[in-house]
Amino acid sequence: MLDITKPSGGLAPGQTQRTGHGFQALAGLALVALPVGLLVTLILWPTVRMVTATVLVDGTLSPERYFAFFNDAYTMANLRYTLEMGLVSALAALGISFGLALYLRFSAGRIATMIHGLSLFPLFVPSIIISYALVRFLGPNGLLQLMLEQVGFTQYRTPYLTPVGPFLAFVWENIPLPVLVLSAGLSQVSDHAVEAARDLGAKAPRILWEILLPQMRRSLLIAFALIFMGIIGAFTVPYMLGPPAPEMMSVFMQRTLGNLHDPASAQVQAVVLMVISSIVGGFYIATMVKSSAGAR
Amino acid sequence: MLQIDAITKMYQGTPAVRDASFAVARGELVCLLGPSGCGKSTLLRIISGLTGSDSGSVRIEGVDMTATQANRRPTAMVFQSHALWSHMSVAQNVGFGLRVRGLPKAEIAAKTAAVLDLVGLAAFAKRLPAELSGGQAQRVALARCLVVEPKVLLMDEPFSALDAHLRKGLREELKALQGRLDLTTIFVTHDQEEAMELADRIVVMQGGRVEQVGPPGALYQNPSTLGVAQFIGAMNTCTTTLRQGAADWYGLDLRLPLPDGEVALLCRPEDLYLDAKGAAARVTRVIDLGPVTKVNLMTEAGDLITWTCPRDQAPDLGRLLTLLPRRLHAFRDGMLIGLAQSPLPAQTAGATA
Repeated sequence: MLDITKPSGGLAPGQTQRTGHGFQALAGLALVALPVGLLVTLILWPTVRMVTATVLVDGTLSPERYFAFFNDAYTMANLRYTLEMGLVSALAALGISFGLALYLRFSAGRIATMIHGLSLFPLFVPSIIISYALVRFLGPNGLLQLMLEQVGFTQYRTPYLTPVGPFLAFVWENIPLPVLVLSAGLSQVSDHAVEAARDLGAKAPRILWEILLPQMRRSLLIAFALIFMGIIGAFTVPYMLGPPAPEMMSVFMQRTLGNLHDPASAQVQAVVLMVISSIVGGFYIATMVKSSAGAR
Repeated sequence: MLQIDAITKMYQGTPAVRDASFAVARGELVCLLGPSGCGKSTLLRIISGLTGSDSGSVRIEGVDMTATQANRRPTAMVFQSHALWSHMSVAQNVGFGLRVRGLPKAEIAAKTAAVLDLVGLAAFAKRLPAELSGGQAQRVALARCLVVEPKVLLMDEPFSALDAHLRKGLREELKALQGRLDLTTIFVTHDQEEAMELADRIVVMQGGRVEQVGPPGALYQNPSTLGVAQFIGAMNTCTTTLRQGAADWYGLDLRLPLPDGEVALLCRPEDLYLDAKGAAARVTRVIDLGPVTKVNLMTEAGDLITWTCPRDQAPDLGRLLTLLPRRLHAFRDGMLIGLAQSPLPAQTAGATA
């Protein structure tokens, strides 16, 4: 009779498994070795070197460069402008995306499919093309101005080279990603959950506020973090469409390095921006971890 | 209380509900029973207003509600998936309908506590839905509906995701609660045992149509269509031809004073009895179900017969038995054409029909 409590082979119990585990562990390490190696050599090591360089003045540890950064009115105006641009553009893109995701979640048919396709279209258009298209459309003597003049409106003031220019580009460019994130989040809210609220007398605004939004909170936070980080680090859009002053930090950094030949100040600007991004990134990771823990 | 008149609903040219009509009295529990895809859930959703109908009307207390939005109808629905809001506590879930109605906080708290007490979940008010068992979650879903005091409670297969034991317990609780509150209830199920146990009356649906409406016992004893007969309870079906008042029933010539032609003769397993003059069949399987024994038999011609007998009459495997029907339902073109009480073989006199 077969006794399933005893091992069938000559090996000691667990021996094969241990060998298997050892191989699996090695294979796993080998798989992650390349990306981790690249991360360490190309990102972490240069970052550490750069951060170290910003606090070493003539070989001694000093916060002097950071004092200079935070005491310079123009630099602070650029930082404030960058954060404001990130916040306002991200919120606007998020609002529009949420509306689109809601529409796509509760609609079906050809129009919904077409809108879905259109909402994802900017994902496949490079920033430089978006910027150039907006210059041609919104800029002086652009298509919009020409069309308005055709109908007798001659007071058009172009948003090109004003904060509105990059704002429009950022919003347009940042709609697809949150639509995808929020659509995925909304698909987790069952039809019955919405119908149960309707059945109990709730109208659309209450369903949105009390049923959908609370269940979408994590998706919204994740989408916001992704857009915000993308915007504050973006270069092409503000470079092509933004005002000469104040500048977004990426453009300011490039000019400090390229035109002013001041790598030390550019490094400090980079570190400050990196710290802000890291805070938002940490917040994003914490939200993701919470979501995974919740899902388990 | 509730009047459904000639409701029809099409989905992309396919009828989901066809010309459905029935009425529900105040305090009555009516089950919509039928196989998957028969239109029972669609009909329930039309009553709730969550789905619109193409034609027909829904009246509640004499008021035409056909064009009224779901959030304005005096109905409340319990969903199969309970559909609790995961970010709200049990008390918040239950109190939602009252908040929508703009009741003062103190009144909401009092009513919520009372209804949670009613469903035996007073101690669970602060829990989140994820911290509840399936049965508790369904009780919360029921409480969420009861608290708004609906005129008609609608339940869409609420217990189908639960295990058999729990389902039985909840059925008992629901029946007691519904009786105590005198609540008009429509309960959708595909489980005929559940319908028989719960319902004052059953509406049997097939292919989008209402096949028959009646008390559980009447449907079981007197099915008016072949569909109802085969769906409610087990039946032995013998398709044969009637000629000059006699038909071949499993190789036995039975006297049946019915018009000539093709006929389906149906007999319940418990309506068969042992008789030396009966149709012969050999025992192929004996299943002890506890209170009764189910016996599977096979005739010479290879037809299968199921007989339910008392445990003490359980035959041995392989034994040849001869059986006669006590009641035989005859259907032609899906409709009942006659019910034969204790029909006898053609050679024997005294058959009644």
